[in-house]
Amino acid sequence: MGLEQYKGDMEMCCRCSACKFVPMQRVAGFKFANVCPSISRYNFHSYSGGGRLNIGSAMLKNGFNYTPRLLDIVYNCQMCGACGVSCNYAMDMEVMEPLYEFRIKCVEDGKTHPALDKVITGLRKHGSMVPAKGKRGDWATGLDLKDATREKVDVLYHVGCLTSYDRNLQKLAKATAKILQKAGVDFGIAGDAETSSGGRAYQMGYKEDSLNQARKNMALIRQAGVKTVVTASAEAYHAFKVLYDKFNLKGSLKVLHISEYIDQLFKDGKLKPRKKVDLTVTYHDPCHLGRLGEPWIHWQGKKIPGDRFVFDPPKVYRRGTQGVYEAPRNVLKSIAGIRLTEMTRIREYAWCCGAGGGVSESNPEFAQWTARERIAEAESTGADAMVTACPWCEKTFSEAIEATGSHLKVYDIVELVEQAIE
Amino acid sequence: MALSKDIYAALEDVVGAEYICDDPVIMPSYHATEFAAIVLPENTAQVQAIVKLCNKHRLQIRPVCTGWTGKFPKGVLYLDLRRMNRIVEINEKNMYAVVEPYVITAQLQAELMKRGLHLNVKGAGSNCSAMLRGHGHLDQTTSGDDRNHLAIEWVTPAGDIVRSGSLGSADEWFCGDGPGPSLRSILTSAVPPGVTPGVFTKAAMKIYHWPGPTRFPIEGTSPNYYLSEIPPNFMARYFSFPSVEKMWQAELKIGESEIAFELMGFNVAMVAANITTSNEEEEKTFKRLSKEVQGPGFFIILAGNSAADFEYKKRVLHHIVNEAGGESLASLEDPRTEGVLLCQCIRISASIRETFRPGGAFSSIPVMGQRDLTIKWAIGAGKAKEPLIEKGLIVDDGGAFFGWGVEQGHLGKTEIFCKFDPQNPVAKKAVEDWHGEQSARAFKERYFALLAGQNEEIGRGLSNYHLWWNKIQKELDPNRVSPEGGTLV
Repeated sequence: MGLEQYKGDMEMCCRCSACKFVPMQRVAGFKFANVCPSISRYNFHSYSGGGRLNIGSAMLKNGFNYTPRLLDIVYNCQMCGACGVSCNYAMDMEVMEPLYEFRIKCVEDGKTHPALDKVITGLRKHGSMVPAKGKRGDWATGLDLKDATREKVDVLYHVGCLTSYDRNLQKLAKATAKILQKAGVDFGIAGDAETSSGGRAYQMGYKEDSLNQARKNMALIRQAGVKTVVTASAEAYHAFKVLYDKFNLKGSLKVLHISEYIDQLFKDGKLKPRKKVDLTVTYHDPCHLGRLGEPWIHWQGKKIPGDRFVFDPPKVYRRGTQGVYEAPRNVLKSIAGIRLTEMTRIREYAWCCGAGGGVSESNPEFAQWTARERIAEAESTGADAMVTACPWCEKTFSEAIEATGSHLKVYDIVELVEQAIE
Repeated sequence: MALSKDIYAALEDVVGAEYICDDPVIMPSYHATEFAAIVLPENTAQVQAIVKLCNKHRLQIRPVCTGWTGKFPKGVLYLDLRRMNRIVEINEKNMYAVVEPYVITAQLQAELMKRGLHLNVKGAGSNCSAMLRGHGHLDQTTSGDDRNHLAIEWVTPAGDIVRSGSLGSADEWFCGDGPGPSLRSILTSAVPPGVTPGVFTKAAMKIYHWPGPTRFPIEGTSPNYYLSEIPPNFMARYFSFPSVEKMWQAELKIGESEIAFELMGFNVAMVAANITTSNEEEEKTFKRLSKEVQGPGFFIILAGNSAADFEYKKRVLHHIVNEAGGESLASLEDPRTEGVLLCQCIRISASIRETFRPGGAFSSIPVMGQRDLTIKWAIGAGKAKEPLIEKGLIVDDGGAFFGWGVEQGHLGKTEIFCKFDPQNPVAKKAVEDWHGEQSARAFKERYFALLAGQNEEIGRGLSNYHLWWNKIQKELDPNRVSPEGGTLV
């Protein structure tokens, strides 16, 4: 069915421009009212969520005309889902699903972006969305972690491509392992056998590659007897929890982001943040943990003929309401000395870091522009540091801070927990 | 309808290559018209240069802010004012704010609330330009239409920059009518064509005292926002009455006593739309509320400047309502629902949930004038909706209309919607027919209704104003670069 199944949703777009801004009740002033990086950077209405739906709808009627401008519109989007949240405050219609399908159609029709093709070539060869330098499991050398490919484990720690291979981010994997060890969790890693979750490939439009990754991961999980997957990568979290479920591949697997796991460990008293961390921080909600991290809702039905856009059975929309917002904040609040100050755009209407949708590869300048906007917002809170819960966010922000000379430091939440439990 | 290379290059020289596009793929994202191109000017000088080029090449041009609605002839140059998005000034002492076209109302309102001020939020919603002319929920205390426009910077269709009122004489924004040229009747045309030719590049908007918090204490996650507490000295209620006459009498007395911050003659279908987060929930809530009301009603917000003022306003309200046999809709007195309505009606101006959510489109007939008379017209228009409801062509709202007092009720606006699925050609045709018949009836019965495309008929009824307008238009727009069309939001 592809894009066609969302014809009715796309036709529902009333071009109100709500998708460009944070939900109106959350507009706190002139600054930081925008929510969509793409329309904010490129300005033509076509770069908004609604504009994309209008184009998709027109192309279903009149045929697909792949001009360079169309592909520029398609690929200059982080697929962050903010447009959908703002739209779905008032409207009953799918926004993100047709945007995914539009990209998938582009890929199926061979209208790809060369930088993304290169990434996918790497994925097919090495199972990684980032260049595979060295062995994937090198970061774990000397940590004495269980190998989930050789022994049964209840909990699998899925590290993710970027954290595994990026030397600047391997500290996150080590910190996560240390936290789990300290809490006495029986967990393992897949080490060199770990492969990309496929989530990022899906965002880029490469659906088949994404599903191949999903099948590989689920085979490994079944073989190892894993009941719970824990990851510190928001994109992997979204893939395991949402995408795998969407395509009926997840089964009964429990999926937790490390912030959820730590929150529970703190509450259960299995992990105690005894050491004070004296820092004023602001928390950045990763898109794929926050608004896009809410569970998949299985639904099949038909539109009821008549005046309203309603279905039998009633359709429940994913509006960003059930995303993971509290757990990371609870964790930060549990650490003595940390003072949490919030930015203007948070939770379901947070501004994206810029890396999503393959934009960090297809248009690094746009990714950095988006990150700089967020850095300015974080600076306006007076915080010393920005805390996030995704390696892609940390990488993009770190680069933007270096380029702008900002005083801000960037931490992943596991780094602060690691300091607090030492 | 591509531009010639020379014209494209000339426009590109004005705005830069990044801010012009004539690729047909982007046009559907604007509107279902083949535009010559989309251009995004950054400032008044660029707008002027573009308009002059349009005159030179006899190219029609249409400026748009957030661009919700609009009708556009084929081949027109679409001037997307998105980059003109600055709040130029908030003058707290003289109570005005100067904005460019793409500052949305929610942004300006949030800035004003921090300063103890607010503005008229148009019915189109706070997602639209803060400089729109129009009516909205707050008309009771802030007036509406052109009354909120002070001085305006205007690029005429010929490409001249005109600064109206005090801006023209003293470089000050405080007055639209003088000292200096008053062009109110031209700049804020409320009769067809309803659109000022040329481009407003800056406008001073009147602002008002805000007795509420610097920001609402919003909790929850979208779409389930609620207030952690009702702000002190605020109250929102819905009262229903035994008859339309009783309702209107209460509305009039509330206006005379000047106690209401907002008085909105919602029907229960609109209340249901605003307090619910999905179509299914809305349908159920509408049915439930319909059983709870005794007849037509209105929604009212009281906002006291002090505890004593609030108590006084409440006492007066209860006296007026009791006298008219009004009853408060008890289920809306729940503080959570009350808070939702406060925010929906003050910050958002309701709008999208009550218009587009059900079927994707709505058709509206707004009628200005004395409320008791316009309500009589609206009852007829509501009855004419009933067959469409029975056939399932439009959303069942009980055939209701709505309306509100303007300037404490000495003026009023009454309006009626048909919400429908625009992809259903039978429904679309039925709604168009209904709209045409009921608008014509309004005109024949001498109510002030907008009748797009019937300028001559209206003009004859209004001292042949259309002939004068055409002469003025010819002087202002010698090359006819500014096409006539419907109201732009």
